[in-house]
Amino acid sequence: MDVNAEEQDLRDRLKLIESMMAEGRRSTESWGWVFILWGVAYYIAIAWSTWSFGGVLWGHDTLAWPVTMIAAFVLTIVLVKRRHGNGNHPQTTVGRALSAIWMAMGISMFVLLLSLGLSGRGGQQASIAVVAAMLGTANAASSMILKWKAQLACAIVWWAAAVASCFASVTQSTIVFTVAIFFCQIVFGAYGMMAEARERQQDARHA
Amino acid sequence: MPDLPELNPVIHGKLRLALLSLLSGVEEAEFTWLRGRTGSTDGNLGAQLLRLEEAGYIAVEKKFVQRKPQTLYRMTEAGRRALTQYVHALKQLLGGAIGA
Repeated sequence: MDVNAEEQDLRDRLKLIESMMAEGRRSTESWGWVFILWGVAYYIAIAWSTWSFGGVLWGHDTLAWPVTMIAAFVLTIVLVKRRHGNGNHPQTTVGRALSAIWMAMGISMFVLLLSLGLSGRGGQQASIAVVAAMLGTANAASSMILKWKAQLACAIVWWAAAVASCFASVTQSTIVFTVAIFFCQIVFGAYGMMAEARERQQDARHA
Repeated sequence: MPDLPELNPVIHGKLRLALLSLLSGVEEAEFTWLRGRTGSTDGNLGAQLLRLEEAGYIAVEKKFVQRKPQTLYRMTEAGRRALTQYVHALKQLLGGAIGA
């Protein structure tokens, strides 16, 4: 093997190492769709609790949040299992840390919303403020782990929504919440999915 | 002229290099995932993984999940050290020795 060929071979090996390491990391970062799914779930819960969808069929608007959140949780688990092919998916420390944050936040939110929904206590503004603050916390922690500025921006939007909800009327706080959901769940989720698709295309070109 | 570093022959095989690199980015990975990422055949993959295991660079765990056998591979500390040294040696070689 001549010197140039040998050098090229060594460069190829370095590229191979980089691409394989990136492959391991990339496999854990396909979560944009979860944000969209939960954004839609929040909208359904808001619509249900606000208008009760006609009253007769969808009465019991105190159950709107608990039922919608349980349904979204079950759907997320089912879809994650299907996408990851029955456990055929590697674990990473970062992936486990992120899952832990969102699982803990999900359980906290579920317990809180279920209790508030069933007891009928807690004003809408306070509930929205608490939910928005929790989402801000989870997004901020996640953004710090991933060093992802776009997600940190989402955290700031959630915190702003939490603060605004404390001072706003019921209608205003609902509007603030729906706007935050749009930007931090729907838009951010779509952005995440596009970033993942772009990364996959780049990997395919480099492969 | 400085001494040129030796490249570890266990890691130097391309498939073994790919496998160690993949495992360096995850905590543990299943055989089928490694096969999918490397595009290797079962026989070749098994043989290369065995070589890495014998060198102490990876650890293997076999278990049953929902009655299905599952083989999980994890990079050991020795494997991580060896890969780091290999990358360091590669960069040293590319850093002038070959081109000189």
